[in-house]
Amino acid sequence: MIRAVIIDDERLARNELKKLLQEFPEIEVIAEAANANEGIEKIDSLNPDLIFLDIQMPGKTGFDMLTELDKAPDVIFTTAYDDYALKAFEVNALDYLLKPVEPRRLADALHKLHLEENRDRESASEDEIMVNKSLLHENDQVFVKDGERCWFVKLAEIRLFESVGNYAKIYFGSNKPLILKSLNALEERLDEKVFFRANRKHIVNLRLIEKIEPYFNGGLLLELKGGEKIEVSRRQTVKFKEMMSL
Amino acid sequence: MHFLIALLIRILAGIFTTNLFRNVIRRAGWLSLPVEQSLPRLAAGILVVCLADSILRISVISWVDPSSGNIVREFSTRFFLMTVENGLYIVPWTAIYYFFHYIEKSRKQEMDTLKLEALVRELELKTIKSHINPHFIFNALNSIRALIDENPIRARTAITELSNILRSSMQTEKQETVFFEKELNIVKDYLALEHIRFEDRLQVQYEIAENTLMQPIPPMMLQTLVENAIKHGISKQVSGGTVIIVSKMNERYHQLVIRNTGRLDNSGNEDGFGLISTRNRLQLLFGGQANFNIREINGNMVEAELHIPLT
Repeated sequence: MIRAVIIDDERLARNELKKLLQEFPEIEVIAEAANANEGIEKIDSLNPDLIFLDIQMPGKTGFDMLTELDKAPDVIFTTAYDDYALKAFEVNALDYLLKPVEPRRLADALHKLHLEENRDRESASEDEIMVNKSLLHENDQVFVKDGERCWFVKLAEIRLFESVGNYAKIYFGSNKPLILKSLNALEERLDEKVFFRANRKHIVNLRLIEKIEPYFNGGLLLELKGGEKIEVSRRQTVKFKEMMSL
Repeated sequence: MHFLIALLIRILAGIFTTNLFRNVIRRAGWLSLPVEQSLPRLAAGILVVCLADSILRISVISWVDPSSGNIVREFSTRFFLMTVENGLYIVPWTAIYYFFHYIEKSRKQEMDTLKLEALVRELELKTIKSHINPHFIFNALNSIRALIDENPIRARTAITELSNILRSSMQTEKQETVFFEKELNIVKDYLALEHIRFEDRLQVQYEIAENTLMQPIPPMMLQTLVENAIKHGISKQVSGGTVIIVSKMNERYHQLVIRNTGRLDNSGNEDGFGLISTRNRLQLLFGGQANFNIREINGNMVEAELHIPLT
């Protein structure tokens, strides 16, 4: 069963989508929200698997809402018109439905989602699924918006978080956009078995380290898969060695 | 030598060389060059023509009358004087030729510019008029689909309203102005549809003076402004707002006012199109006599105001 929330400022549009979803018994609509703030509330309290998200909403757009979430559920965007904003995405990074929604397109979008769902389940072992809810899993995705460009990024793909004032710069692929989160807040939520605080300014993904070299004062220098060189402070080096020897 | 023969030689040589010169000018396209490029070329050309003319005349004269070479003046002096003399009529002749073509050319250019401007205006008016927000159309269709089950009677009227709007947006391409009443009916249909979508979040008030109903106004102009009021005003308010439409008249102007809840967003250029096109259309249709301005009042309302001169 997929638990879904519909977020759209128009009551009739929500009703219409609910009616279309009646054809899909595997989708359970557990809540509705009429704007971005209500949406955030519902997502935080209900932790849905999927949201149907209208882009144009009063107050905050659907994109703005997503950037405020710690982790993004699967998202199917709904919009009345082929929005230029959607072109900011990599082609296969998301699915969107044009209103009025064609039932066959809806079926396609949900089908695609099932495939991904199954793949994720296979890769996640049982104790990982039971893991503490407030902790972010490496298969969780975050929504990142940098100017005109947007991404859904799996945490596993992020090799480095770098502190830049109140922001964190995240490194994945060839991109390094900023997100409005402090490194300390991130550290609390990230799985410490995968994400390691190398020093005051950096958190690295242990699975994406290319090389480890000794450095001054008994510290270490890590080279990441993207070529970034990160120094591990002396204090953290002890911890790092402990973790690696386990 | 007989004076008449000399004159005949002079005329024939002049016609021959200047005709040759004309061919060169046309082949090389000097007339279509900018003035600062064509003048030096013409000056050099004139010099060459004068010299050539002299050479031609001297050789013809000495061939006709071999004895002429023996008279008073030296050859070089004669040649020089003849060249200067040639210049006296070839220079004005070329100048007349050049200016005649220059004036004709600029006249033709002016005509072309005017034609092009007229075309651009026509196209501009067409695109402005047919501009209906696709967001609106598809959102309306989506609402109507939901209404078919919930309130079939309302769904039926909604389809009529949408048809009216689409029809008028297509028809207006042919007209410069329409009666205000006709435009108002479109706006009422439009707002009725938006009310289906926004429900309680949209309140509408009309303050329409009876005597303005038969005033001619540019089609789809009020509609565009009301669409803006929804798009940039109401749809951005979480708790919605009000749209007020006022139409009244004084002895000089038909005054239209659209007020909506919201703030005037000066930062972005999103609403540029509607406002710029409204200004352009008024300028094209009424010259400087019509007036349009938009401003924020009391920090929570935006007021757009149109003054259309009475005809």
